[in-house]
Amino acid sequence: MIPLLSINQLTFKPTKKWEFMVPSTDFVLGPVDLTINKGESIAIIGQNDSGKSLLAKLIVGAVTPTSGQISLNGQQLDPNNTKARASDIRMMFRQSSESLNPGISIGTMIEEPLRLNTQLSPEMRLEKVLKTLTLVGLMPDHYYFYKHMLSEGQQQRVALARALILDPQVIVADEPFAALDPSVRSQTVNLLLTLQAELGLAFIFISHNLGIVRHMSDRTIVMNEGQVVEVKDTQAMFADPEHPSSQKLINAHKALLTY
Amino acid sequence: MIILDIKNLTLEIESNGVLVKALDKVSLTIQENEIRALVGESGSGKSLIVRAISGALPPQWIVTADRLTWRGQNLLSMTRAQRQAIMRRDIAVIFQDPLASLDPSATLKDQLVESIPQEFIPKGWPWQRRKARLRIAQQIMRKVGIKDVHAAINKYPHELSLDICQKFMIAMALVSQPTLLIADDPTRGMETNTKQQILTLLAQLNKTRNLSILFVSHDLIAISAMAHSMTVLYCGQSVESGKMKAMRRRPLHPYTKALMDSAPSFSPDLIPKSPLVAMDGTIPTLQHLPIGCRLGPRCPRAAKECVQVPEERSINEHKYRCHYPMHVESV
Repeated sequence: MIPLLSINQLTFKPTKKWEFMVPSTDFVLGPVDLTINKGESIAIIGQNDSGKSLLAKLIVGAVTPTSGQISLNGQQLDPNNTKARASDIRMMFRQSSESLNPGISIGTMIEEPLRLNTQLSPEMRLEKVLKTLTLVGLMPDHYYFYKHMLSEGQQQRVALARALILDPQVIVADEPFAALDPSVRSQTVNLLLTLQAELGLAFIFISHNLGIVRHMSDRTIVMNEGQVVEVKDTQAMFADPEHPSSQKLINAHKALLTY
Repeated sequence: MIILDIKNLTLEIESNGVLVKALDKVSLTIQENEIRALVGESGSGKSLIVRAISGALPPQWIVTADRLTWRGQNLLSMTRAQRQAIMRRDIAVIFQDPLASLDPSATLKDQLVESIPQEFIPKGWPWQRRKARLRIAQQIMRKVGIKDVHAAINKYPHELSLDICQKFMIAMALVSQPTLLIADDPTRGMETNTKQQILTLLAQLNKTRNLSILFVSHDLIAISAMAHSMTVLYCGQSVESGKMKAMRRRPLHPYTKALMDSAPSFSPDLIPKSPLVAMDGTIPTLQHLPIGCRLGPRCPRAAKECVQVPEERSINEHKYRCHYPMHVESV
């Protein structure tokens, strides 16, 4: 069986700045090897500055990798062909409240990817936007709303709708739950779980909340200083972490729970 | 002994010509040597309580309270100077978001040295006093767990990572050796390792220095790891308060129950990927607060009576405000 997304020897090295006073950093990401199947959720955990967000950006193509390939359904993705990639792999950015444009209405914002990437007529686009809005649990009326009129949880739903609008196969989310309050967070978790079951999406997310990682993900990736140090089934990972840095994270989480 | 006693604190803000009660009769007490958690989601007014205690509210906001006392002295009726003296020596506040509350134009050393009280420095020549200040500053930074003190002390806040800044905020709060530490969301947005370090540090200070802590957060896992007692707020109303153990074992208010359910880590036998128990709806904004019990429109147990604000009832120091609490069979 061909995996949905496979990442092969992906590396990233930041280009050197020509400034003599700036000490050069020897940060290198990868090489990363990873395969993701249809309908699978994968969590990326790790300390700050371990390259989690960078890996997410490399997968969606917001950053061009130094070397390595990403293939979708067995076909290699060209780093310069952003159009094909933008419709199959979509991203939800950290802090959805800041990644939404305050100047245009929600409907225009969600419609924009359709206008740029498909040949649909305006009527069909409107229909599609309204359908996606109801799918993520918003009202069709929200089409005319602006960002500031919505609560944090609703903004998160808008970000999700924007990610879903092109019928992607993979969604990459950078800390989708960090800014949410507990009661709204459970709603979002439930929404993502049902959508995943319905649409068969593969879902890659970064989180610091290990409770949610344990609940939602099938596999967990631990990153440390740019390297993927451990990949395992989530339940096995939480029962028996092997690498010192994953042990550190998971034991800290368990220590908080056992007071 | 009760050191901070708040009874029926009400805070009114004028919005479009109407007075809105941002805090509605909130009561809170802190015993000596106690860690009390103040739990609430955004917009519940937990930061407003912190600001009301520290006196950092704009003058046009109306604060009324039956009691707002620090060791028996009324904080609301005392002069500005007296209140500042208490805030300087007895109560210390760690504000939310260290990067925003630290001075971006001064090094950590300058900021920390400034907040050392004069009484701590022995008499001597100016250079001796300067040296003594620096020694105290380094000592306290080492104590809160900043590893490379010599490198960090001469840097500006933006040059350091978030967790060092957060530890530095704690150092700044502790340098005046307060009796009460108010920590406003000190673990927000942190990864588990750093979070645990900071919680251990606070718990340790509570044991060794008899420091009382008011821990304001919505991170229930962090709270249940260290707090002795807990007060839950929703939209400016205190819904439930009591001992941590009792509240974890048997929450009486539907909102507390929903909060406990929202952390999957609290229910270890939950099947992975099963839907979580979630409360419908979103938190109302200040302009559109429901009357009566403010949880009303979202509450699964709400009934006709809930348009009246419920009176406070209590079972063995476990106080709650609800017409239909969890231990009574619903109608």
